[in-house]
Amino acid sequence: MIEVDRLQKTYGFAQALKGISFSVRKGEVVGFLGPNGAGKSTTMKILTGYLLPSGGRASVDGLDVVDESLAVRRRIGYLPESTPLYGEMRVDDYLLFCAEIRGVPRDRRRSAIARAVELCGLPRVVGKNIVELSKGYRQRVGLAQAIVHEPPVLILDEPTSGLDPNQIVEVRKLIERLGEEHTVVLSTHYLQEVEKSCSRVIVVHQGEIVADGTREQLIARQPAGGLVARVRGPEAAVLAQCGELLPGCPVTVLERGSDANVYRVEVGGAKAPVEEAFARLVVRNGWDLIELQRERPSLEDVFRALTLGNEAEVARA
Amino acid sequence: MRESLVIFRRELKSYFYSPIAYVFGVLFLGVLLYHSVELLTNGVQANMQGFFLMLPYVLLFFLPVLTMRLWAEERKLGTIELLMTFPVRVSQLVAGKFLAALVFLAFLLLLTLGLPLTMHAFGGIDWPPVLGMYLASLLFAGSFVAVGMFFSSLTRDQIVASLSSIVTLFVLHRIGEPATIELANAWMPAMLVDLLSGISPHRYFLSIARGVLDTRDLLYFACFCGFFLYCNALVLQHRRQKG
Repeated sequence: MIEVDRLQKTYGFAQALKGISFSVRKGEVVGFLGPNGAGKSTTMKILTGYLLPSGGRASVDGLDVVDESLAVRRRIGYLPESTPLYGEMRVDDYLLFCAEIRGVPRDRRRSAIARAVELCGLPRVVGKNIVELSKGYRQRVGLAQAIVHEPPVLILDEPTSGLDPNQIVEVRKLIERLGEEHTVVLSTHYLQEVEKSCSRVIVVHQGEIVADGTREQLIARQPAGGLVARVRGPEAAVLAQCGELLPGCPVTVLERGSDANVYRVEVGGAKAPVEEAFARLVVRNGWDLIELQRERPSLEDVFRALTLGNEAEVARA
Repeated sequence: MRESLVIFRRELKSYFYSPIAYVFGVLFLGVLLYHSVELLTNGVQANMQGFFLMLPYVLLFFLPVLTMRLWAEERKLGTIELLMTFPVRVSQLVAGKFLAALVFLAFLLLLTLGLPLTMHAFGGIDWPPVLGMYLASLLFAGSFVAVGMFFSSLTRDQIVASLSSIVTLFVLHRIGEPATIELANAWMPAMLVDLLSGISPHRYFLSIARGVLDTRDLLYFACFCGFFLYCNALVLQHRRQKG
């Protein structure tokens, strides 16, 4: 549905995009993840025809975004960052304007607006001026504006930024629902958003794609975390035994309880499966193993590793 | 065409949604009518001459205030990003906005018809030249709108937009004034004077205002507006490139 090939954008002397390539299949919900200034918005602005690329190509539905800009724009619903709206207009007037300008035929306008209003949960505010609405409702108007012409592709630039937690949940649910019918590309710097609503994640950093894949694929790239165990037994003995029998796996006490302690075993340097060795060790000493689990790396760890630059592994997935 | 009309309708409505239009309308009409009536009561012959001679100066200072927001505000609010990503050409956006401003001004000018109607009631008035003057005024106002809109597209600061258009319009106006032309003729080659004053909308306004409707004058206004609207579209298009 979307093909991006070595796309570049230069603002003055600053290179915002250093030749990024990716493709999005029909029906996918792709999350663009990256720190501020990574190039997320720039990519979206090029796809929607607001900006022209300095190099490379991009196409939507097989149509080039530069040569066939108008046709591309007809196929896209776009919610720009910070949701610009004409505040003095009424919600229904505004949606009518958007439907008209997007070329929705006269006889279908009413039903198209009704559908967008219904989907975005706006029935209670259609007669109000946009300027009177809360931020959450304004965001929904922005989304309604983007879907009123039923575009195959939705491009949403930070759809939940600046909303309160309840509004974020609502907007996220709405995006999930929209993802059933549309191909969606959304940008965000909230990790939970990607975890909840996206089938695929593209991590952008300093104008380059540093990772591209499903959430599981990205997490799998992150080295496994430590082992967390709750053990009932003398602390000094546990630490001593572990140091002796599990070389290369430093053990620390995470939490001291009245009954049992929680230990964390670093597995980084171990060759044999550490879980089994640790369990045997506990049993042999006659202590009680109450809980044993492996730390799962989160998308947050992956994100930090990729964008803080303190990891050598910046290869493309 | 359809797209331009959609933009045009939204723009025109936006004049009436916002208080700016009403404040502007009242001030514009107030100043204009006050001065015209003052001229009349000072014993000048009862015709519309005073009104139409007053008009360029009122437009000069008021119109930039109306046009300054046309693009600058869209940029400030970010709505320009919506406009530029609608399936609409830049030229259609420019045309829609320009037409809306022109129709709004035509509406204001229509409101001043009370003045000639009063004169008509009190002693008759020669209508053909008055109607010609109204046409000239609208064209003249249109040329000012084109200039103001162009400056609004250059900046996101509305004050900068209005000040630069006032200065430009003032200069354009001055070089077409008969007194200036006379003064310049004393030391400048006649051709240069002709060329400079030929740019000024003022000269063509006075020409139509004399009561003769010359196609050359109409053509001039079309070219003048066309030039600034074209530059306006270029600025917007260029910004796509620059980012």
